[in-house]
Amino acid sequence: MATMLSHARRHRPFGRDAMAGWLFVLPVIIVLGLFLVLPVVMAAWVSVSDWTGRGSPFSSTVNFVGIDNYRDLLGEPGLAQRDFGTSIRNNVYYVLLVVPTQTAVALFLAVLVNKRIKSRGFFRTAFYFPSVTSSVAITVLFLFLFSASGAVNRMLSFIGLRGPNWFADPRGIIHIGLGWLGVDQPPAALTDGSLLGVNWWEWASGPSVAMCVFIVLAVFTTSGTFMLLFLSALQNIQAEIEEAAIVDGTTGWQRFRLITLPMLRPTIATVITLGLVGTWQVFDQIYTGTRGGPAKTTLTPAYQSYSASFLNQNWGQGAAIAFVLFAIIVVLTAVQRSLLRERDNDGKPGRVLSTLSFRRNAGGDS
Amino acid sequence: MLHRRRWIRLSVAAAVAVLTLSACGSGFDSASGADTPGDLTVLIGASGDAETNAVKSAVAAWSAQSGTKAEVVVASDLSQQLSQGFTSGRPADLFYLSGETMPGFAANGALEPVGERLANVGDFHDAIKASFTYKGKLYAAPKDFSTLGLVINRDAWAAAGLTDADIPTTWDQLAAVARKLTTPGRVGLSMSPEFARLGVFLAQAGGWLVAPDGKAVADSPENLRALEFVKGMLADGSLKFSSALGAGWGGEAFGKGLAAMTIEGNWVVGALKNDFPAISYRVAELPAGPGGRGTMQFNGGWGVAADSKNKDAAVKLVEYLTNTDRQLAFADAFGVMPSVKSAAQQWKTKFPQQAAFLAGGDYAKNIPNLVGISDVIKDFNSQIEGLVTRDPKAVLGSVQRNLQPLVGK
Amino acid sequence: MTTTLRTAMPAAVQVPKRSGLVRRQIATSCTYAALVVLAGLYILPFLIDVANSFKSEPDAAADPLGLIPATATSAAYQRLFQADFPNWFKNSVIITVTVTAGRVFFDCLAGYALARLSFTGRRVVFALLIAVMAVPNVVLLIPKFLVLNQLGMYDSYAGLIIPLLVDAAGVLIMKTFFESIPTAVEEAAKIDGAGTFRRFWSIVLPMSRPAVITIVILSFQASWNELSHFIVAAQDPELTPLTKGVAQLASGALSSGTQYPIKLAGAAVMTIPVAVLFFVFQRRIMNAAGGAVKE
Repeated sequence: MATMLSHARRHRPFGRDAMAGWLFVLPVIIVLGLFLVLPVVMAAWVSVSDWTGRGSPFSSTVNFVGIDNYRDLLGEPGLAQRDFGTSIRNNVYYVLLVVPTQTAVALFLAVLVNKRIKSRGFFRTAFYFPSVTSSVAITVLFLFLFSASGAVNRMLSFIGLRGPNWFADPRGIIHIGLGWLGVDQPPAALTDGSLLGVNWWEWASGPSVAMCVFIVLAVFTTSGTFMLLFLSALQNIQAEIEEAAIVDGTTGWQRFRLITLPMLRPTIATVITLGLVGTWQVFDQIYTGTRGGPAKTTLTPAYQSYSASFLNQNWGQGAAIAFVLFAIIVVLTAVQRSLLRERDNDGKPGRVLSTLSFRRNAGGDS
Repeated sequence: MLHRRRWIRLSVAAAVAVLTLSACGSGFDSASGADTPGDLTVLIGASGDAETNAVKSAVAAWSAQSGTKAEVVVASDLSQQLSQGFTSGRPADLFYLSGETMPGFAANGALEPVGERLANVGDFHDAIKASFTYKGKLYAAPKDFSTLGLVINRDAWAAAGLTDADIPTTWDQLAAVARKLTTPGRVGLSMSPEFARLGVFLAQAGGWLVAPDGKAVADSPENLRALEFVKGMLADGSLKFSSALGAGWGGEAFGKGLAAMTIEGNWVVGALKNDFPAISYRVAELPAGPGGRGTMQFNGGWGVAADSKNKDAAVKLVEYLTNTDRQLAFADAFGVMPSVKSAAQQWKTKFPQQAAFLAGGDYAKNIPNLVGISDVIKDFNSQIEGLVTRDPKAVLGSVQRNLQPLVGK
Repeated sequence: MTTTLRTAMPAAVQVPKRSGLVRRQIATSCTYAALVVLAGLYILPFLIDVANSFKSEPDAAADPLGLIPATATSAAYQRLFQADFPNWFKNSVIITVTVTAGRVFFDCLAGYALARLSFTGRRVVFALLIAVMAVPNVVLLIPKFLVLNQLGMYDSYAGLIIPLLVDAAGVLIMKTFFESIPTAVEEAAKIDGAGTFRRFWSIVLPMSRPAVITIVILSFQASWNELSHFIVAAQDPELTPLTKGVAQLASGALSSGTQYPIKLAGAAVMTIPVAVLFFVFQRRIMNAAGGAVKE
C-alpha cells in the first residue's frame, strides 16, 4: 500500500503537504527532542564529569574526568564497584527467573483461554487485570501479602509450614538449598576469586527470598499482557492447527509441540525481548517496596542509578550506571534476537507496533 | 484558501502549545509554595504529628512576631528532597540536617556556614557542634540530640522474676536477662538491624570506626569482639532483629510485645505514648562492655541553604527555633534533649524518667562526619542484616576497606 | 483446543468413540479446574486488599486472609482522606487528563503526517521515532531531571505533564491505522477544496475511533500509573500524584510502624479509576492489546 500511495503522490500537486507535514510532526519532535534526545546527551556529559549536583553541569567549575566514573564501577575495587556487582547479580537472577516464567505462564494461560469454553471472557479479564493496575498498588499489596504475619504465611501454616519473613530475608535461595545439603560455609575456592568486587560464593547465592517475592510479583503483573499477545497469535494460526488435527492421529501435546510452538516462534521471540528489556529496568517495585534491602539483595542497577544521584550527590556515577545498563540491554537484546531470529519476518508493522506499545508494561518498567 | 489558512493556524497553535506550556513552567517555579521572594520555606522530616504540629506552631509564632512569612513543609523523603532542592537551585531555606548527610552537602557548597552568623552559637553543647563541623566550619545549628538506652518492659521483667537489682551492667548480665526474658512468643531483646543500634556494642567494647587520631579502625579486635557478642545472642535466639519479627523498628517490636527489651533513643518515649499507651516500661543506661560504658548519640540540626533568597531571615528563624524556651517546648512535645546548655537543668528536673538518656550523653559516640560516610554505613547495615550467616571478621574487613578512602580526604 | 475441535471435525482420529467422549469430558473438567484455580490466584489478592483496608491494624495482622472483616471500619479511609491523599488524587487526575488529551491530539497529528503527507525528511522522522523508542525509560531518569531543571520546569505541573505529552508508540499506532483507511474518501474531499487539517480533522479522525480509543486507554493507563518521572520531576508535596504519594507511604516515609490498612486503602483507591476504565472498555482493551499483532 505504501508504494501505491507514494506512486499516487508523485502525480499530484501535493506541495503544501510538505509544510503541513512538518507542522503536524513538530510537537512530537520538540517534546521527544527535549525530553528524550537532549537528556541522553546531557547525561552522557555528566557521566564523564565530576558534577556534584550544584549549579549547572555545564558551568566552568565542573571538570571532565574521563572514564573515572565508569572505572569506579567496573575496574576499581571499592564500595561503588561492589554495589554495582551486587546489583547486577540481583538483576541477573531476576531476569533469569522472570523471563522464562512469565513467557511460559503467559503461553499456558493463552492456550487455556483460547479453548472454546464458557466464560472465557471472564478468565481473560481476570488474568489481564493485574497488568493494568499500577505497580505501586500491586507492590503495596504484595508487601502485605508477604509480611511476616501476612496472608501467604497464613496459608502456608494451614499445611504446617512456617513461612519466612519474606521481605526481610536476605538469604539467597541457592545458599539455603546448599545449607540443607550441609554446605553452609563457602568453599575457599569460591571466596578467593571475585568479579566486580563480589566473590563467586556471593554470585552463586541465587536470588534472596525477598527478591523471589519481586519475581512472583513480576510474573503476576506481566503474564496477562503477554497472554494477550500469545492469544492473538494463536487465533491467527488456528486454521493450521485445526488442519493438523485432521491429518493424522497425533495427540494434543504432539500437535502443540510440533505445530503450534514452531508457529508461535516469532511471538515468543517478541515476548522474550520485551521481557528482557523490562526486567533489566525494574525500579518502581524496588522504590516502593524495599529500596534495595534487605542486605542489598534487591538492589538493582536502575535503583542504584537513582540513589547514587538523588540520595548521594554522586551524579556522574548515577549517569554512568544508567549508560552501562543501557549497553547491557542493547547487547542482550541483540544477542537474543540473533539466537531466536524470526525466520518468517514478513515485515508487517503489526509486530513492531505491539512490541513498542507494550514495552512499557513489560516486566519492571512502568 | 480559507481552509488552508485555518489549518496553518491550528497546526501552529498545536506546535507552539508545548513551548507555551514550557514557558509557563517558570511561572510555577516556587520551590515549595513560598510565593514572594523573602518568604521562607522550612523543610522538616517529622517523626509524627506531634513533631509536625510543634514545629508548625513555633514557626507561626515567629512569623507573627517578625512579619516574615514562613511555610513548614513535611518531607516524605528528606534526603531526596534536600538533594533535588539543592540541585535545582531552589532549595528550602532552612531544613533538618543530620550529622550523617551534612558532609556531602557541605562539600558541594550547598550549605551556608551558619555558625558564623548565629548569635547563640556559644550556648550549644560542644560535642554536638563538633558533629556538625566540617573543615573547621559549623554548618548547622544543633537543634537537639538523642542517645540510645535500654528500654525494658516492666511486666515482662517482673514475670521473669527479675528485680531492679538485675538491670544489666555488663554484657554477660545482658545476655543472661535476655535469655530469661525469651519466651515462645517473645524474644528477650530486639533492635533494628543497623549500625545506628549495634554501634553501641562497638563503643562498649572500646572500639569505633575512626580513632581519635583520624585513622580508620573498623577492623579492630574490639569491634570484632562486639560483633561476635551480638552474633552469639542472635544464635541463641534471645536477640532478634525487628525486621525478623515483622516490625518496622525496635520500638514497634517492643510496643507490640514481640520483644521484652529494645535498644532505642529518646524518641521511643513519644512513639510508645502515641501508639502503645498501655505498655509499662522503664529506660536504663546501656550495660558496660569490656571497654566500659558506651552508647551512640544522634544530633539534629537546622541547616540553611547557601542558595536561600533570604538568608538573614532564615538565620533569625534558626536562632528562634533553637532558643532555650523553644527547645524545652520541643522536648515536651516529642521527647528530644535540648542542644543548649542553658536548657539542661530545667530538662533534667522535668523529665527524670529519661535520666538514662541524658546520662548517656557523657560517654556517647557520634557517627564520624566524613564525606561518603552514609554509603559506608548503608553497606555496613546491609551486612548487619545478614549477620547471622556472616563472618564478623569479614564484615569488619569490608567496612575498613570502604572507610579507608574517606579518612584520607 | 484439541478436544473441542474434535466435536466439530469428522471423526478422522481413530479413537473408539466412547473412550474419546470420556477423555474429552475429563480434559474439559481439567481445563476448568485449572482455570478456576488460576483465576482465584489472580483475583484473590485484590479481594484481600479491599477486605483488609476495612479492618483495624490488629485485625489485619491477626486475620490477613479473612475476606469479611470481623468489625468493619472505614478508619483507614478516613485517615487517608484527612491526609494529603485528596490532593494526590487531584494531581493524578489533572496529569492524566491533560496527558491523555495531549497524546490523542499530537499522536494523531503526527501519525497522520507520517501516513499521508509526503514531506522531505519523513523517513528520517520515522526512523528517529523507532530509534527513540529503543532508549530504556530508566536511563532517562537522571537526565530528565537535569533537562527539566535547565528549562526551569522542575517542580511545576508543566514539568510533570509536558515530557509525557507525546509518545512515539502512539504515533506509530495511529500511523498504521491511518494507512489502513482507503484514500478515496480524502481524494473526494480534496476535490471539494478541503485543506489538509480539515481533511484530517473532519474526515479521517472521525473514522479512526477505534484507534483513538486505543490511544486513550494506553495513555490513561500509562500516565495514571507512572512513577519514576514524577519522582524526578518535582519535590513539592503539593505536586505529588497518587503513585508517588502511596509509594512513599509504603516505604514508611510518612509513618512509623506498618499500618497496612491505610496503605491497602490507598492502593485500592488508586486502582479504582483504572479498574473502571478497564471494565468499561474491556472488549476494546483486549482487542487493543492483542490486536496489533493480528494485523
